[in-house]
Amino acid sequence: MGLSRREFIKRTAALTAASYVGMNLPFTNEDTAHASDADSWHKGTCRLCGSGCRLELGVKNGKAVALRGIPQSRTNMGYLCMKGMLFYKLMGTNHPERFKKPLYRARKTDPFKEISWDEALDIAAREFANAIKKYGNNSVAYYGSGQSLTEETYIFQKVMRGGLKTNNVEGNPRLCMASAVGGYITSFGADEPIGSYSNFERASCFFIIGSNTAEAHPVLFRRIMRRKLDNRDTVKVINADPRVSPTSRIADLHLQFEPGTDLALLNAMAHVIVKEGYYDEDFLNNYAVFRMGKDKKQVGFEEYKKFLEDYTPEKVARLCKGNITPEKIRKAANWFAKSEGTMSLWTMGINQRSRGVWANNLIHNLHILTGQLCRPGADSFSLTGQPNACGGVREGGGLCHILPAHRPVKIDKLRHEVERLWGIPEGRIPPKPGYHTIAMFEAVNQGKIKAIWINCTSPAQSLPNCDKYRKGMKREDVFMIVTDIFPTKTTELANLILPTAFHFEKTGVYGCTERRSQLTVKAVDAPGDAMPEVWIVREWALRLAKELKDPVIKKCVEPFLGKEPDYELPKAIWDEYTQKLTKGRDNDLRGATYEVLEKLPDGVQWPAPTKEWALKGGTDIKFVRGLDPLADKHAKNDLPYQFYGPAHKDRKLWVWLRPMKGPEEMPDSEYPFYLSTGRIIDHWHTSSMTGRIKELMRANPYAYVEVNPKDAEKLGIKPGDMVEVVSRRGKNILPAKVYVGPCEGMVFVYWHDQDEDRMINRVTKDAFDPGSKEPEFKICACRIRKVSGPKPLKPFLVHMKS
Amino acid sequence: MPKMKFHKKFQKEKKAHSQKGDVSISRRFFLMASAMAGAMFALPRPARAIKFFKSPVTTNVLRPPGAVPEEIFPSKCIRCGRCVEVCPYKAIRPLDIREGIYAGTPLIFVEEIPCYLCMKCVEVCPTGTLRPIQQKETRMGLAVIDKHACMTWNEELALCRTCYNVCPFKEKAIKLNELRPVVIDDYCTGCGLCVHGCPVTRKDGKKAINVEPIYASRPVKW
Repeated sequence: MGLSRREFIKRTAALTAASYVGMNLPFTNEDTAHASDADSWHKGTCRLCGSGCRLELGVKNGKAVALRGIPQSRTNMGYLCMKGMLFYKLMGTNHPERFKKPLYRARKTDPFKEISWDEALDIAAREFANAIKKYGNNSVAYYGSGQSLTEETYIFQKVMRGGLKTNNVEGNPRLCMASAVGGYITSFGADEPIGSYSNFERASCFFIIGSNTAEAHPVLFRRIMRRKLDNRDTVKVINADPRVSPTSRIADLHLQFEPGTDLALLNAMAHVIVKEGYYDEDFLNNYAVFRMGKDKKQVGFEEYKKFLEDYTPEKVARLCKGNITPEKIRKAANWFAKSEGTMSLWTMGINQRSRGVWANNLIHNLHILTGQLCRPGADSFSLTGQPNACGGVREGGGLCHILPAHRPVKIDKLRHEVERLWGIPEGRIPPKPGYHTIAMFEAVNQGKIKAIWINCTSPAQSLPNCDKYRKGMKREDVFMIVTDIFPTKTTELANLILPTAFHFEKTGVYGCTERRSQLTVKAVDAPGDAMPEVWIVREWALRLAKELKDPVIKKCVEPFLGKEPDYELPKAIWDEYTQKLTKGRDNDLRGATYEVLEKLPDGVQWPAPTKEWALKGGTDIKFVRGLDPLADKHAKNDLPYQFYGPAHKDRKLWVWLRPMKGPEEMPDSEYPFYLSTGRIIDHWHTSSMTGRIKELMRANPYAYVEVNPKDAEKLGIKPGDMVEVVSRRGKNILPAKVYVGPCEGMVFVYWHDQDEDRMINRVTKDAFDPGSKEPEFKICACRIRKVSGPKPLKPFLVHMKS
Repeated sequence: MPKMKFHKKFQKEKKAHSQKGDVSISRRFFLMASAMAGAMFALPRPARAIKFFKSPVTTNVLRPPGAVPEEIFPSKCIRCGRCVEVCPYKAIRPLDIREGIYAGTPLIFVEEIPCYLCMKCVEVCPTGTLRPIQQKETRMGLAVIDKHACMTWNEELALCRTCYNVCPFKEKAIKLNELRPVVIDDYCTGCGLCVHGCPVTRKDGKKAINVEPIYASRPVKW
């Protein structure tokens, strides 16, 4: 029955030939056929992930029919991933499940019924007003999203802060990049990366830690891979991750450490850099100081050296376990320090840690020590997960402790400046920051918050230890308003669901990872009565003003009255934000008007104080004289780099002495495994959008747990077996994938699945970083056991019960 | 299961006949005729004539793991249905009466439900029609990428690697060559997970990656 080699080759050849004959057959795929049919193409930005890929939407007879990349764009160069190529299937009337009318129920156990916008807005205003009258201003809250447009986040927080006198303004970026914000501010004095994507093509060493770029940012990964493959010998890639991921494939060196030992590893690299004299003495003398402790005490280089003595490669290798050897640490430090330009990249593996800010600081330390900053290809670059976490929430004031344009709430001068710019009485914005995300939902649990508005996100699935917080959201005395386009785990707990316009059904700006603001103009109509959020907030604020008899609330939306909601209204909001609020700040966006943004194939990188500068694309590298207009403006001396960031009065970069700190929950005899979670290429966040694209759902119908083959053998787990993952908080039952991905003693689960049995955030831990308040999604202790053989599983999505 | 179905159908038709009354036909003739008629009506026109003896195994329609060549499959398989019963994913289906001499034999339509290679079916097969092989020895077919339909190969600016992601022998059976998927025939088991996952559907209903049952037509050495 054997097949001879010759025969086999013959057959294979025949088959290949057969597939080529197909060339003459009409084998084009359905979507491409549509694409060539489109009547018009409309420029915009991708709705998913933080890469900020620029694309065009093809519209035919008012219907979205295709998406394609824009080759002139400096972010994606025309490339798109499958998510980006297919999300037009959710627009307009393309998807039947979209919310089309406001839905209301008085009690959370009742069925929803359709109501009109007038009724819906009245109810929303009445409930918020009642809560404020009875329980005070801090009994209401807004929980937003890094996927809302900048205009939306800005107007929401303006009404909440200026109008309702509360700083309870939060957003899901707290769950993804709050630690990066903390890291940038404490190390560099200014939020957001110094360089841009353009460094991908100039870097000669990539240090990728805690990021599966290949799956989470596939389009950016292509650029990194291209750089590596074009310069195989000269460009080095170091990947540090407890899990072997698709990103590790291009790595020259994979540092597989045990989860939670990252701080030690980074300090060990610093140890080697200092010991071997790899550091840049001039750079340190000119631009850096050393600091430690909560009181930011300044110390000398000698003290730093002493601090690092504890982190010898030998000692750290023993601590990190995995495949770490002292030689590997030395090699990594050598490559990092000696390359022409080293670019570090990280995402949630670093940010979602109970010491996420410290981990960020330690990466920045390596760059400051070696002077790998501000040069071409040298950058300490945090990748963002959401399309507008940077632009909308970090810059637009979408977190409880920051006001628009990087102004901390606590600083009186800046707070009063905002009040003055808004034309509202001084003292209107409370000086105390509001609840951060975990505290906010804790307050919901305790009944301290009586009315909460959740916009464009699904905390019922995305919060760590979500069962705990769903209890609060289920409370009958907590009125929940949810603005969304599809049913989610959160809309299931809502009292009032407001249907909103999706991307390309409204106009607004997204700001991606590299400080780039890009405009998307409305191209198709929203289905049914769905409306843009900016209109919803404006109308709601007018009703609130009446209910609370407070003219200042009306004052907050006065500049926007009478504007048509599809273009004029967001434009007016953007103009107020950029022209008034960002003026004189480090993210100066005055040049990036809608006219300028529409002219450019991609967008504008701030600082962009003038239109002329904005039309050139803005600032590629911050802090460099000649390249950054603000560096010239704020220059105090002749040095080429001017670190004018608002948080560091001494205008220096700070090297931090941060000791090793393990995770909050370590494995023990009862829960012997580390559990980590992450994103898969086909799905995005809670899969409420990507799950509704059938091509993507087919490719990845449900979440699974990745188990190391050695562990699987010990526990008798075979591929496909149903495995129970239990922690102190909850359990999941998922199919197993036995795979050399996670290191021994660690399991990995994708977090997109909406099925109760496969929703891994029921298992994760809600411990958080004391600095950034970002939860430690990435590490907790769990135990696993096989419960049954393989079972047929169906993909699951929340649907509306009719 | 198929036997039961057939029986019911037979009785139904017998009833219809007896109502007409005057025609008498032998049991054998009737059996043949109804089977043929059933087969004929269910098929597209050109296939009708040959389908009765033609193997149903074709692109993306495959035998379970370890299957003997098609030449002897219908004679070796006793249609016990154990593989159908044991398959946890309900991927294996028995063929019905319309498939002529292949009725009752097991088949996997990988585009609908692929084979997850749990290897349960080969363990229960009583006749060795599904030979007891290891997971990695499975050769249900060979995945072939249609480079003209595949987004990553065809459109220069698309990044898709779904087939690579879902492949149970990732990096062995499917590799990425500068982000474009390539099938390595030494390792491809033909399980069809890639076909199932592929987001591109061609006009003819096939995917941009399809499993061709190249091993099914191997001649048997007697």
